[in-house]
Amino acid sequence: MEGRRAPGSKPQARGRGPRGLGAIIGRTALVAILLAVIVGPLLGLVLWSVAERWYWPAVFPQQIGTKYWARITQGDLLGALTRGVSIALVTTAAALVTSVPIAYGAARARLPLGPVVLMLFLLPQAFPQLPVFASAAVLFYRWNLAGTFLGVVLIHLVGGLVYSVWTMTAVFRAIGEEIEEAAINLGASFTRTFFRITLPLALPGVVASSILVFIYSLDEFTGTLLVGAPYVTTLPVYMYTASLGYELQIASVTALVLMIPGVVLLVAMERFLRAEYLAFFGRL
Amino acid sequence: MKALSAGALGGRVRPVERARPLEQALWWLAALPAIAVILIGFGFPLLQSLTASFMRDGNWTLANYELVYRLYRQDVFYTVGVAAAGLLLTFGIGIPLSGHLRLRHSHVAEFLLKVPLFVPFVVVGHAMRVFLAPRGTLLSTLHALGLVPADTTLAFSEGWMGLAIALAWKHLALVVLLLMGAFRGVDESYLEAARGFGAGPIRQIWAVLVPMAAPSIGLAAVLSLTSMLASFSIPLMMSRGSGPQMLMIDLYHRYGQHGDFGTASAIGVVSYLLAAGAAYYYLRSVAK
Repeated sequence: MEGRRAPGSKPQARGRGPRGLGAIIGRTALVAILLAVIVGPLLGLVLWSVAERWYWPAVFPQQIGTKYWARITQGDLLGALTRGVSIALVTTAAALVTSVPIAYGAARARLPLGPVVLMLFLLPQAFPQLPVFASAAVLFYRWNLAGTFLGVVLIHLVGGLVYSVWTMTAVFRAIGEEIEEAAINLGASFTRTFFRITLPLALPGVVASSILVFIYSLDEFTGTLLVGAPYVTTLPVYMYTASLGYELQIASVTALVLMIPGVVLLVAMERFLRAEYLAFFGRL
Repeated sequence: MKALSAGALGGRVRPVERARPLEQALWWLAALPAIAVILIGFGFPLLQSLTASFMRDGNWTLANYELVYRLYRQDVFYTVGVAAAGLLLTFGIGIPLSGHLRLRHSHVAEFLLKVPLFVPFVVVGHAMRVFLAPRGTLLSTLHALGLVPADTTLAFSEGWMGLAIALAWKHLALVVLLLMGAFRGVDESYLEAARGFGAGPIRQIWAVLVPMAAPSIGLAAVLSLTSMLASFSIPLMMSRGSGPQMLMIDLYHRYGQHGDFGTASAIGVVSYLLAAGAAYYYLRSVAK
């Protein structure tokens, strides 16, 4: 296509820079509107998190302070935070160990059942989660898993495996088989080839997939509420309880804390996050 | 022997085929826990909710569905309505926006649009509750800017409109991401041809980009619709006590407050059917 352009004809500008004053104004207006629409609601959280006293009809809080932010360092909020992080760490480790073999198998072995197994790992995204998790909670009560750390990890693992298995399968598929063949032809065993050649090459993708699972677990609400509450409380459940009791400041502080990992990831890794990972994030 | 003869014929031996039987067995064994977790934590509960929806006091019955019809049939329509409004809002903004960004690339706008991807559903629910409340931060800001008189309140925010806005806010990012990917896949030469015939940006979006990306738009629509129909944390965070409710809120109350797992499961089955209906409609339109 490129070569066929008549000599002398100017290539069309592909959105390279605005042309003229009108375009500059239009572009600025677009960014301003997006800023207001996207950041506006989040700024409301910031305002509420520092509002020590805010009675209607005052437009802004009458008294601003960090009283509610101090709650992070003490008591129940800190407890929910550390519990959530430890649940997320265990969930991530478990997802990593269990996903690698099945993802590698799905990427390499050409089995008739391969696609069926992969579809199995889409189920938790295809069906509404709440009714299934309610049903799982009934089972977990029977098995004495409800209200336990292990039970919450298990329910997080159900959702988390969707992310890890699918992203890792894509990662392993992207690694050429030729390089494994070379190792095998030099006498390495299949398993040795995997651990010495394939896994190191897949490491960046495996790390990205683990971050995905970690953040999923940290943010998971539905399963934790049904299986864990009231004995195992993580930050999202803590935030819900606070907001039920009209403790809007506490809920807003918690909401902002919950946003930190995602925002850090977005700012630090924006250029490296491929569209397919981002699409998974949209489902959190 | 098989591997040897394949090699002799110049064919390639795939590494997987070189695995010894014991190795293969160990690999499959290692793959089992993940399958077990999905079956125990999702497959089995899914089946249990199906059977429980037809059971009451140990007997097979349709009583649960009768109760759903009697108490919650309005809420089925309400849920579909809210999801449809959310979808309309998401795509009404998403399609022109993605099209515009395809024609006029903007780093800042794309970065901003990614932000909601990283904001969890519960946080969106709480943020929107605070933002859109009858005397919320949106109204405060409008007051401060002198755009509305001091005694107004936002009446719409607590009803279906507030929910639809919150759902659209969260889903817009994913939809724009999917649409931009699809629009980028449309070859520039088609757009050049359209421009050659004098098509402006709006014509280029409607007459070239949208038809050529139709399958992706359909997929994005089904993904967001099923997610909105089954949305739980956003309506829960924004919920009010009275009036029609989203189905998932009904389910939660039926299960949590009434301890009525049978009826809760029947509501669940209705939500499976709604999700399956959206997926079926999409698959049929793709197959055509």
